[in-house]
Amino acid sequence: MSVAPVAIAGMGCISAAGRNLPDSMKSLLRGERSPAPPVRFASDHPVRFPVFEAVDFEEPPDLLRTGAFALHAAREAVADAGLDRKTLGALRVGVCVGTTVGSVMSEETFCRGYLAGGDPDMAPFRRILRSNPADVIAREFGLSGPRQTVVTACSSSTDAVGIAGSWIRAGLCDAVIAGGADELGRITYIGFISLMITDDSPCRPFDKNRKGLNLGEGAAMLLLASEPALRRSGMRARSFLLGYGSAGDAYHLTAPRPDGAGLRSAISEALATGGVSPASVAFVNAHGTGTPDNDRVEGRVLQDMLPGVPFLSTKGYTGHTLGAAGAIEAVFTAACLEMGKIPASAGFETPDPDIGTLPVREVTTVPGSCALSETLAFGGNNSVVVLGRA
Amino acid sequence: MSGTGRIVIEGVGAVGGFGCGIADLSRALADGDVRPGSLALSPGSGPVEFAAFRADTSRLKEFVPARDLRRIDHFSRLALLGSHLALADAGLPESERHRLGVIVASGYGATGITYAFLKSFINDGDICASPTYFANSVHNSAAAHISILLGARGPSLTVSQFDLSVPSALLCVREWLLEGRVDRVLFGAVEELSDLIGYAWYRLRGASCSPMTPLWTEKETAIPAEGAAFFLFSRAEEARAGYCTLETAIVGSPANAGFPLPGSGLLLLGADGRRETGRRYAPLAENARIACYSPLYGSMPAGPAFDLAAAALILKGGRIFPSPGGASLDFPATVPAGGEPVGTDRISCLALADDGAFGLTTLGKLPDSQ
Repeated sequence: MSVAPVAIAGMGCISAAGRNLPDSMKSLLRGERSPAPPVRFASDHPVRFPVFEAVDFEEPPDLLRTGAFALHAAREAVADAGLDRKTLGALRVGVCVGTTVGSVMSEETFCRGYLAGGDPDMAPFRRILRSNPADVIAREFGLSGPRQTVVTACSSSTDAVGIAGSWIRAGLCDAVIAGGADELGRITYIGFISLMITDDSPCRPFDKNRKGLNLGEGAAMLLLASEPALRRSGMRARSFLLGYGSAGDAYHLTAPRPDGAGLRSAISEALATGGVSPASVAFVNAHGTGTPDNDRVEGRVLQDMLPGVPFLSTKGYTGHTLGAAGAIEAVFTAACLEMGKIPASAGFETPDPDIGTLPVREVTTVPGSCALSETLAFGGNNSVVVLGRA
Repeated sequence: MSGTGRIVIEGVGAVGGFGCGIADLSRALADGDVRPGSLALSPGSGPVEFAAFRADTSRLKEFVPARDLRRIDHFSRLALLGSHLALADAGLPESERHRLGVIVASGYGATGITYAFLKSFINDGDICASPTYFANSVHNSAAAHISILLGARGPSLTVSQFDLSVPSALLCVREWLLEGRVDRVLFGAVEELSDLIGYAWYRLRGASCSPMTPLWTEKETAIPAEGAAFFLFSRAEEARAGYCTLETAIVGSPANAGFPLPGSGLLLLGADGRRETGRRYAPLAENARIACYSPLYGSMPAGPAFDLAAAALILKGGRIFPSPGGASLDFPATVPAGGEPVGTDRISCLALADDGAFGLTTLGKLPDSQ
């Protein structure tokens, strides 16, 4: 059942942790994090919940912030792969991007105007139609391959990376720019508060006293390429996508299945397709949102399926970036494999006996050549990728 | 994966302005006529009512207990109804759903409940935002409800690529089955015509009029629509019976990749009365045998799924349906009158996006033994 590895030739990312991947990794290893109430938008909610707003970057005015994030990370990934536009244009390159808000027809100013009985300006609506993140990247680089925007909530960009590997193995593309992007705005902020799963202090994934998540925003892109494309274009494999698995809980719209059956299936499929045994896993970059339900289910599954394998959540550094989370965490995972070490799981202090296992509390050396990055989504989809060191 | 590598459509379920179920869709295709309903809005410029294809989900209670539907919105109900109709059409028993994958395509998503969520805090303050509306507003809510109510614990995926949502999602249908990740895929597309989308349509395109004539590109004749078209796909080895095979699914940009139109066979165009998109189809259809059925279900990003259903019915029945909008001098192509034998083993469905990207899905006649 194992599948052929697919090379990852370039990576890029932006979030609260940094404007690019090297800066982000330095920040993570220094243990820096600075969640704060949002400054880009206001809310009349009496509690000011902290969030992780991304560092400033150049935003094209005609795009939604999500599309701009996607483009920023894609440019870094393409440059990291050592490709110029001409070389890229000579390949069949697809785009597969996960998002949650990147193609949603909701714009508050427009809706307020309509509700007030006016005829609001259509510019925001047109901007949404222009900003589908896969289209934005395909247009920017003049790409000829398939394009797909995955909107499976928080597993979207893990799925996008897995799908990209499938397209390359099937011969649909020479290369794929795959990843995720999501912006943070009032609608998302208010929505998560309404669900009562946000923490009013900096998030504490897997901690006994965790109260919920902090939202974040950003993007990450990976440039995956076939072996012939690597050779033809002078790229080198920076790491590998070894395996991918996904499975549904079929349980609840917003809560994970208590027995973690969907996550177990996803991990099993990812390990099997990657041809990887549990004993050879160096570490797990967990979903670890900091919500009581997610961390309890995920921690128990890890304890059961991968006992003794070090794990962490990087959401303590970036917040929960929703549709971008899977990709951001995948590039962090690949970068950690390269460095042979992982940062401390930020926010964790007090062990939770209800989980029965602990994330790493300090920068930790991780010998080994492969690692897992996993995501759990609203709607019950669980997705896992296995990444390998080059 | 071993086997023939052939993928089969085992069941089709559709609900839209034409009615509910494959029998209603077949009747509409044969008659070549569906009268649209209407959508009434009260924007700032004054009340307006215009033609729109609306879909009725009342038959959903045949499949799902009313209590399970209490918090499920119109968008997800459309998808649930399409799903159940497809499963019933295929005769798939509950015992064979454990390795069922779910893939849903939608250009706009759950816009009605998204709008309701926004209203909940715009009207009453941020602290009064509705958690139920928010949870249901996520783009994959329909796929989630399908998985939960069917107990489908295979992978679940939702794709949103506007006009190319359907062909793009079909790439994954094909790969999931060929890779052996699942035994079957319940795939469908869904769109709801909420007040928000209706209003945006009205502002961008004006009040629509009837009838749609998508092969006449000089005027805008698109009528907004909602509906769901679902399919049960399986590998040929596991299929009980079926409509046709899924031969290829291609998505790309013609900019420097060429345009892989089939040399023979029937080309089913996704033109839907939008003038600017319709004009893009004309040169691509040159000298082809073409058909276009969008006047029966209207204009919506999920439209290519209805084209797929029409193509499946043609391949199964062996005869071409008439194109309701008629032929046109704008399209230098042959438009069959309808009723004649299909005369080919393959039908390709073409969908174009505003920026020139395309999706081309080719279905094939089942071998006689299938």
